Amino acid sequence: MTDILRSWIGGALPDWLIVLIAYLLVTIIVLFYAVGNFILMVWAERRVVARMQDRLGPNRVGPAGLLQPIADAVKMFTKEDIVPRSADRWVHLLAPIVSLAPVAMMLAVVPWGRGWEPIDLHVALLYIVAVSAVSGVGLMMAGWGSNNKFALLGAMRAVAQLVSYEIPAVTALLTVVVLAGGMSLLGLPYLQAGVPLMGATILCGDPAGCSPLLYTTITSFPGSANEPVQALDLGLGWWVFTPVGLLGFIVFFIAALAEGERTPFDIPEADSEIVAGYMTEYSGMKFATFYIAQYILNFALSALAATAFLGGWQGPGVAALANMGGPWVHVAAALSGFYLLAKIWILFFVMIWLRGAFPRLRVDQLMDFAWKLLLPLALVNIVSASLMVGLTQWTGAQWGGLISLDGFAPWQRQLIAILVTAIINIAATYWILSINQRPTQEEWDEELVIAP
Amino acid sequence: MTTDIQTETTEAQTTRGRVYVIDRSRPRLRVGQGLLTGLDVVFRHFRDALTRKLEKPSQQTGVFTVQYPEERLKLPEAFRNFPILLYDDETGQELCTSCFQCQRICPPQVIHMTQARDPSTGKPVPAVAEFLIEYDACMSCGLCAEVCPFDAIKMDHEFEYSTDVHGGLTINKEALNRPISYYEKIAPTFWAEVKDSAMKKLQGNMKRRPELIGVAPQMVEKIRAKRAEAAATAPATADAASADKAARPAAAARARSAEKTAEAAPEPATDSAPADKAARLAAIRAANVAKKTDEGAAETVAPAGDSAPADKAARLAAIRAANVAKKTDEGAAETVAPAGDSAPADKAARLAAIRAANVAKKTDEGAAETVAPAGDSAPTDKAARLAAIRAANAAKKAAANEGAPAAASADVAPAPSAPEGEPDVSSTPPAAEAADPTIEVAPPTSSMPSDKAARLAAIRTANAAKKAAAQSDGSEE
Repeated sequence: MTDILRSWIGGALPDWLIVLIAYLLVTIIVLFYAVGNFILMVWAERRVVARMQDRLGPNRVGPAGLLQPIADAVKMFTKEDIVPRSADRWVHLLAPIVSLAPVAMMLAVVPWGRGWEPIDLHVALLYIVAVSAVSGVGLMMAGWGSNNKFALLGAMRAVAQLVSYEIPAVTALLTVVVLAGGMSLLGLPYLQAGVPLMGATILCGDPAGCSPLLYTTITSFPGSANEPVQALDLGLGWWVFTPVGLLGFIVFFIAALAEGERTPFDIPEADSEIVAGYMTEYSGMKFATFYIAQYILNFALSALAATAFLGGWQGPGVAALANMGGPWVHVAAALSGFYLLAKIWILFFVMIWLRGAFPRLRVDQLMDFAWKLLLPLALVNIVSASLMVGLTQWTGAQWGGLISLDGFAPWQRQLIAILVTAIINIAATYWILSINQRPTQEEWDEELVIAP
Repeated sequence: MTTDIQTETTEAQTTRGRVYVIDRSRPRLRVGQGLLTGLDVVFRHFRDALTRKLEKPSQQTGVFTVQYPEERLKLPEAFRNFPILLYDDETGQELCTSCFQCQRICPPQVIHMTQARDPSTGKPVPAVAEFLIEYDACMSCGLCAEVCPFDAIKMDHEFEYSTDVHGGLTINKEALNRPISYYEKIAPTFWAEVKDSAMKKLQGNMKRRPELIGVAPQMVEKIRAKRAEAAATAPATADAASADKAARPAAAARARSAEKTAEAAPEPATDSAPADKAARLAAIRAANVAKKTDEGAAETVAPAGDSAPADKAARLAAIRAANVAKKTDEGAAETVAPAGDSAPADKAARLAAIRAANVAKKTDEGAAETVAPAGDSAPTDKAARLAAIRAANAAKKAAANEGAPAAASADVAPAPSAPEGEPDVSSTPPAAEAADPTIEVAPPTSSMPSDKAARLAAIRTANAAKKAAAQSDGSEE
């Protein structure tokens, strides 16, 4: 963006102003993108959940009810802004802002398409983890500032849930860090090129005979000594197709549900128990701000999950179009942007689907699930990811002569790594699930025997 | 994902006591299997809701939403919201007769009505002048429709009545009126059940409604135009009142002609006037009987009741007398069933006539004279009744004695002179004269307003009959 502006109005304005304008423009575009998606998400959630419940959902305002969010917004804007007399006015006022701002900041580092990166941050994953934790402060402010017992209970639950689920979420993301060899999100889609399961390991034997539509230049995994190679690329080498990526994705997605307060984990705003949780004392636009924060958080987490495990903007045809050069690069960028959006929406549909299907967990079940199931699985997965990297990229010297796979072709090494990690992950999953299994009826009966 | 619902209950002894174990024969779920089953169920609902509507109760998936203003469920016939009034489609006549039953039964007392009155006489007419229902306070109980004897008030299916006009839900008669065809459309079987009786009652009530009273307000212009058209095509048709008057002399004239010539009575004119049907009918039948009797001396007089619109008694008596006369073979039968003058419920007269008729039926001899004296303007004329009974008894006895010239003579209580001197008075003297000479004839006490004479005459007749019976007994011995 900065370069484009420079080429247009380079001479007329000082360089710092051009940079400032460029960043402002990008910010505005990203925020509009997010808010537009938020509006559509509100509509889609209501419509989809309605169909799951054999209803129609909002269909009166605009075609198929598409303008319903606009009508809702008008309602929200015109509602009275109520601040309880005993509330802490400033904390009460700032809480929605504090919860929305970090969520919006998460959007800055996500690569929205091929070449559509707002900011190239080398510690993007760390940044996301750090910033998303700040929104917990906003929730606590809302609960505390409202001076309402339900609000406080909701805030306590929300913060407990956020803190608990950040650990499996971050641990699952560590898998990606291990696989990618860095924390940048920008490189992740490039690394997930290739074909399912095998990734970019099927190399072109004869560089002259390989069509640029099927084979692209892969710079392999960062940190490895491998030279750039021509590999078969269908844009489907997503990590979710490997055992490591699959387990990591499942753990991360479940944790993301909890962080985004989606339905099996919507304990903080359990309306049947504590009114509306920390939002109880909010009305009008302040309430809407919380609502926006929640949906944009879901949007951002879906984008993160898609980027980290589902290949991001990677998809069939993107690489081929980009290889054709010229204006096709922009087409490739548009197609890649569409792929990411489609993945985000599929994930969002799954969220709605889960909401339509499952009841709410209890707080103790929530904690059990996080600490006794997700965290061990994520830890095992880090071991698997490390083995995967070692088996596919390390040389014999790096192994210290223990294992030498130098003689194998990349696809053979990939197969070995997949087999090893699959065995580890399946065994670990089975074991962790079985030790978390509810006791059998006989065991229950034994426990319940009352001594005479 | 169908689960076997075959259950097996077993009794088991546990450390916590005896319990019943219900085996739902469901396999033990693997980890996450329950979650996936739930997701599967929800997804099937989602998929089917996109493609189809829920139509049968057995169907488990599909959209069940009815998009109300555009789509509507078919209301059951028995659905009820607010009451409406019915009127006949053709004549425009309302079924309501202002009987006040609905107003009385209405629990929230929201029904109000005033009865219509004949503008010329000021008398109440079986029609309603104004009818108000406060829909805003109506509780839709339907008791008014239940209680209505004329099926004039029915419960409507319309339920969209919200308004911003204060008092806009106090509905007057014009707004309450619906044609019968409308009700037939919303509740066909209910209307079919009551249709016949309701229409019959309406026909009866229409006769008592002068002019356009009782016509639904929205139909008044139409009906007026219709009537004007009818009047243009049939100019001879006079209005109701004059036609009524004209009918009576006609009936009398017919009776007279029958008496003189024993010929067929002239065909009854079917004028459109709501005339006294009863009188007409009786006259016609009497005439027919007279036709059949061979001897010319048969006198059949069925004078029409004067200005008594529902003189059932007179009608009945006349009919029965006619029947009796038909059966008597001999020609000297005199059947006189004078109608009580302006006594609308003269039970006595009716009874007497009936019994006299019965007696006459039994008497085989031709000289039987059966005259049922009608009490003159005395609604409970005991004496007359008594006399009649005695006469009847005597006649019975006489009948029992075969061979003897049994004579059940009843005296003739002529119909008192009608105010205008109608021709039916003139028909009575011949009835007395034509009697057989062997029979005692009580002198006619005509034109005596008091009923004493009638009573006396009856007593004498009875005595005479008794004597005759005794004589016949003696002669046999």
